[in-house]
Amino acid sequence: MPREIITLQVGQCGNQIGMEFWKQLCLEHGISKEGILEDFATQGGDRKDVFFYQADDQHYIPRALLIDLEPRVINGIQNGEYRNLYNHENIFLSDHGGGAGNNWASGYHQGKNVEEDIMDMIDREADGSDSLEGFVLCHSIAGGTGSGMGSYLLETLNDRYSKKLVQTYSVFPNQMETSDVVVQPYNSLLTLKRLTLNADCVVVLDNTALNRIAVERLHLSNPTFAQTNSLVSTVMSASTTTLRYPGYMNNDLVGLLASLIPTPRCHFLMTGYTPLTVERQANLIRKTTVLDVMRRLLQAKNVMVSSYARTKDASQAKYISILNIIQGEVDPTQVHESLQRIRERKLVNFIDWGPASIQVALSRKSPYVQTAHRVSGLMLASHTSIRHLFSRCLSQYEKLRKKQAFLDNYRKFPMFAVCAPISYAHSYIDLLNTTAASVMYFVSLVHLYVVLTQVISSIKNGQDNDLSEFDESRDIIESLVDEYKACESPDYIKWGMEDPNNMMTGEGSDSGSLDPKS
Amino acid sequence: MKVNSMDFDNPIGCYDAAVQELIVIDDILSAMVGVEGRHVLIKIVHGKHDDVTFQVDPSMDLALQELAKRIFPLCRSFLLINQFVESRSQFKSGLVNHAFSAALRALLIDYQAMVAQLEHQFRLGRLSLQGLWFYCQPMMGSMLALSTVIQKASENNFSGSAVLNLLQNQAKAMAGDNAVRLLLEKMTQCASNAYLSILERWVYEGVIDDPYGEFFITENKSLQKETLTQDYDAKYWRQRYSLKDGIPSFLANIAGTILTTGKYLNVMRECGHNVQVPPSENSKLMSYGSNHHYLECIKAAYKFASGELLNLIKEKYDLLGKLQSIKHYLLLDQGDFLVHFMDIARDELARKPDEVSVEKLQSLLDLALRTTAASADPFFEGVTCVVERSSLLKTLGTIKDLEVSQSSSSSSDPEEPVSITALETFSLSYKVLWPLSIVLSRKALTKYQLIFRFLFHCKHVDRQLCGAWQMHQGVRALNTRGTALSRSSLLCRSMLKFINSLLHYLTFEASLSFVIEPNWHVMYNRLQSANSIDEVIQYHDLFLDKCLRECLLLLPELLKKVERLKSMCLQYAATTQWLISSSIEIHSPEEPTDDSIRSNKAKQRKSGNVRQVLKSTTGSVAVMDSVLKFEKEFNAELQSLGSILSSSSQAEPYLAHLAQSILGVKNEKNGL
Repeated sequence: MPREIITLQVGQCGNQIGMEFWKQLCLEHGISKEGILEDFATQGGDRKDVFFYQADDQHYIPRALLIDLEPRVINGIQNGEYRNLYNHENIFLSDHGGGAGNNWASGYHQGKNVEEDIMDMIDREADGSDSLEGFVLCHSIAGGTGSGMGSYLLETLNDRYSKKLVQTYSVFPNQMETSDVVVQPYNSLLTLKRLTLNADCVVVLDNTALNRIAVERLHLSNPTFAQTNSLVSTVMSASTTTLRYPGYMNNDLVGLLASLIPTPRCHFLMTGYTPLTVERQANLIRKTTVLDVMRRLLQAKNVMVSSYARTKDASQAKYISILNIIQGEVDPTQVHESLQRIRERKLVNFIDWGPASIQVALSRKSPYVQTAHRVSGLMLASHTSIRHLFSRCLSQYEKLRKKQAFLDNYRKFPMFAVCAPISYAHSYIDLLNTTAASVMYFVSLVHLYVVLTQVISSIKNGQDNDLSEFDESRDIIESLVDEYKACESPDYIKWGMEDPNNMMTGEGSDSGSLDPKS
Repeated sequence: MKVNSMDFDNPIGCYDAAVQELIVIDDILSAMVGVEGRHVLIKIVHGKHDDVTFQVDPSMDLALQELAKRIFPLCRSFLLINQFVESRSQFKSGLVNHAFSAALRALLIDYQAMVAQLEHQFRLGRLSLQGLWFYCQPMMGSMLALSTVIQKASENNFSGSAVLNLLQNQAKAMAGDNAVRLLLEKMTQCASNAYLSILERWVYEGVIDDPYGEFFITENKSLQKETLTQDYDAKYWRQRYSLKDGIPSFLANIAGTILTTGKYLNVMRECGHNVQVPPSENSKLMSYGSNHHYLECIKAAYKFASGELLNLIKEKYDLLGKLQSIKHYLLLDQGDFLVHFMDIARDELARKPDEVSVEKLQSLLDLALRTTAASADPFFEGVTCVVERSSLLKTLGTIKDLEVSQSSSSSSDPEEPVSITALETFSLSYKVLWPLSIVLSRKALTKYQLIFRFLFHCKHVDRQLCGAWQMHQGVRALNTRGTALSRSSLLCRSMLKFINSLLHYLTFEASLSFVIEPNWHVMYNRLQSANSIDEVIQYHDLFLDKCLRECLLLLPELLKKVERLKSMCLQYAATTQWLISSSIEIHSPEEPTDDSIRSNKAKQRKSGNVRQVLKSTTGSVAVMDSVLKFEKEFNAELQSLGSILSSSSQAEPYLAHLAQSILGVKNEKNGL
C-alpha cells in the first residue's frame, strides 16, 4: 500500500470539510457508510489504499485524524450516518471541550499541551503505512483551533516528518461580510506564516469566492455552510483523482506538486472547478466539451479565490503553472484541439521567465457516481494574483494592529506574554528565594542584570518584544507578496541578485547573503 | 473370309483396288488400337520425345494411301495417349496425373468401343474406307488435342498443378472448337478433382493431405509455434505455411486467401479446438470452366475461419484485455505500480546491469504489482523483468529493420556512457502464450519494450528531480532570495518542466500534444472492427511503429539530445544535496538539546528555522558557480534541441507539438 496520505482535520471548519471529503471519497470508491465495499463496486483499477486502509474485517477506514478542541462538530460526526467509518481512536477532543475561543494563541498553546497525544496518533497512522507520502491538513485560517492548533501541528510535522510532504487545504475567511471573529486578521496572519514556512503546498479555498460562486454560479441566494463545504469537498476529491485513479502521470503527490510549485515559498495554489452543481440542480445542466470546460476554468469567476487586485494590477497577473484535471469521457484529440485554441486566442497569460504551459491530466471518473455532466474539470494553478489576497490580510492586520486592539487576548499566552525576559527574571527571583547557596547568588545576580538590560533595550527600541511574533509573521508575508510580485516581471530569475541590500530583509533569522555573480 | 485366304506375302499392289480397300481397312482398324497390320507398319521412334510414325505399303493404290494417311494421326494419338496413361498411372506420378489418366482411360474405352463398332460394321461389309474416315471425324479432333496436351505433359514431365494449368490453357486455346474445349474442360475437371479434394481438406480443416507434394502450400515442420515468443522475425507465423510455385491458374487469384484460411484453421487446431467449416449442401469444391462456385466456397470458408479465429482470440484468449494490460505495464498507463516499484527497487536498480539480480527485481516487481491498482488486473502475473546489457541508444542501433533514419551517425557511437546502471537497461516483459503470440510476437514485444525503457528512464529522471525539488522545499524557512538556492530552485523547475513536458508528450496527457494514447485509441477501435487476425496484426504493428516514430526512438539525433538533457537533469539532481548542504549551515550546538528546548520553550523553536542558517562563506560562491553552469548548459542544450525540433518538424509534423510543449508558449523568450 504505497504512497499513503494521512489527513488531519483540525477545528470546526476542518472537520466539516473533511467530513464532506470522506463522504465524497466513499461515494466515488463505492464504500458504504459503514466502510464496507458495496456489492456493485466490483470494477478495479482504483486505489483506495491511498486514503483508506482495511481493518481485519475488510472494512475500509480513512487514514484520518479528527482533531478539535470543542465537541460540537465531532459529536455531530459521531452521531451522524458515517459514525462507523472513522477509527474512534483517531478522534481527539480536548478534555475541557471549551474550544480555542477564536484565539490563535489559545489554539497554538493548547496544541502544544496535547502534542504528545496527537503525535501518538499520527505516529500510529504513519507506522501503519508502507511508505507514507505525506499529510493533508484541512483547516480554516481565521478561527482558533484550525489556525492555532493547525499551525502548531504544521511546525511539529515539519520537525518530525521533515521528509514527508505536507499539503493543506486552507479555508480563508469571508471578507465581504463582517465576521463575528474580530481578531480574524491576527489569526490569519499568524497562520499564514506557518503556511508559508511549514507547508509544501497550500490549496487556498477562499470563502469569499466560494460564497460568490454559490450565489452567482449556483444561484443560491443565501448559501449555507453545507453548500460551500460541498464545493470544497468537490475540489478536494477532484484534486486527488490522479492519485486514486492512476494514469500515465501524477501518480504520486510529489510529482503532482513538483510540477506546479516553482519555488519553495510560492506554493499557494488556486483552484477552479466546473461545472458545479449542488444537489442535482437539473436546470443547470449544460452541454460540456473539453474546450468549454478548459475555457471556463480560466475564467476568474470560476476560480475559488477572489482577487482583490485593481484592474491595473490584475492585468499584470500571470500564471506560473496550470494543471487541469479533466474527468469524464474525453477524446484525447479534443484536449489537443482545446489547448491549441486556448493558445491561439491567448486566453492565458503566462510568466515570461521560463517555459510554461497548461498541463492536462485525464482521469477516470468514478463509475459509481452518476453525474449529469459528461466532462468536468478541476484547475490547480499557481497564479501571481494570489498576492492580493495576502496583501489584503496584511492591510487588515495593520488596521487592527495600529489600534493595538484585542492584543490582550494574545498576551495571556506564553508566546506573547508580556516580556518574556521578565518571566525569566521571575524564575530567577524564585531561584534566589529558594536557593540557599551563596555562590549561586552572584551568578544569579549577573543573570538578572543581563535580563533586565534586555528588557530595557527592547523597550527603548519601541518594540514590544512579546509581539515580535506578529512582526515576524508580517515580514514573512510581505516578502511572500514581494516574491509573487517579482514573478510577474520577466527578470524574476535575477530577482534579488542585483541588490545586495535587499537581502538582509526577511524573517529575522540571521540570513546570510552572497555576492551575486552577474 | 476371303481376305484371310489370301497369300500374306504378296504386296498389296497386286490386288485389285476393291480388295486393297478391304485389306487397308482391316489394317487400319488394327492400327487404330495400336496393332500392326501387314501393310500398315507402326514405327515407334524412341528419342527425346517418343513419337510414332506409320508406313503403308508403297504399292498400295494412291487414293487409298492418301485416305489411310489421313486416319493415321488418330492412330498415333491413341498410341500416345495410351502410352501416357500407362506411364502416368504409376504410383509416383501423383494424384493429379492419376486422375487425369483415369479420365483418359475412360475416353480411350469409348474410343475402343467405337473401333469395335466400326470393325463390326466392317465385318458386315458395310464399311468403306471413306466411311471409316467419316466415322472417325468426331473423335479425331479431340484425340489430336489430347495428344498434344499429353505430349507437352510428358515432355516436361508435368505433375500436379502444372498438368492442370496445361489442360486449362489448352482448353482456352481451343475455345473456338466447342467440342474439344468441352472435352478439355471435362478433363481439367476430372484431373482437378483430386487436387480440389486436397484443397478442400486444407480450407475446411486446415490439414495438408498431400502425399505427392502437388499442393501449392507447403508446411515447414521445423518451425515450432513456441518459437514465436523468442523469434524476432515471427518465422512461425510467416513461414510455417507458405505458397510455392505452380499455383493452378484458376486458384492464382485466391491463393493468398486459401493459405490464410488453412492457417487460421490450423491455429485453432493447435489451440485444441477441432474446428471444421460446417459442411453445407454445395460446399463441395468443383471447378467448371466458367462456374466460379468454388471461389465462393473458399471465400465462405475463409470468412468462417477468420471469424472463428478472431472470436477465439478475442473472446477466449481475451486479446484486447491482454493489450490493455500490456498498456498498463509497458506503456505505464497505470503508473502507480512503477512509483512503488522504483521506491522499493531503488538500490537494486542503481547497480550495474550485470550485477543486478533479476530474481530480486522480479520479486520486488511482484510485490509492487500486488499492492497497487495493478492487482485488480487479472493478467498482472504475466509481467516479468528483464535487464538488458546495452543502453537504449545502442539497442536501437542494433535492431536493424526499425528503419532508424539517419543511422549513419549511430553506427560508431562513442558516447556510450561507461557506467550504465540497471536503470538504463531495465525493462519489463510480458509472458505471451501460444495463440496470442501471433499478434504479440517477439518483435511487437520488443517494440513495446523500447518504448517502456524510454518512458521508464524519463520517469526515473522525473523522480530524481522531484527529489531535488523536495530538498529545495526543505529550505523554505530560509530567506533564499537572491541566493544560489533560489536560482537553483528555478533551474529545478525548468528541468521538471522539460521532463514533464516530454512525458506528457509521450504519454499524451500532454500539454500540447500526445503520442501513445491517441494512437492507442485509433488502434483499439480498429481492432474491434477488424475482420481477421492478419488485420489485427497489421493494425497492431502500425500502432507500434507509429508510436516508436513519434516517441523519437527512430530519430537518433534527437534522441541523443534528449538523452543528454536527461543526463544533465540527473547530474543536477545528484548535486542538489551538495548544493543545499553547502549553502546551509546546520547549527549543530542546538541539535542535541533540541528536544528539551522544544518541551519547555516555545520561543526557541520557531518552526525549526533556528537550526538552519544560510552560509555566507566562499562555499556559496562555488555553489552559485555550479548552479549557473548547470543553468547555462541546460538552457543551451534545450535551445539546440528546440532548433533541431523545429527544423525537423517540417518532415515530421508531430515534432512541432513536442517543440511547443517543451519550449513552452513563449519559445523565444525562454533563454532570457
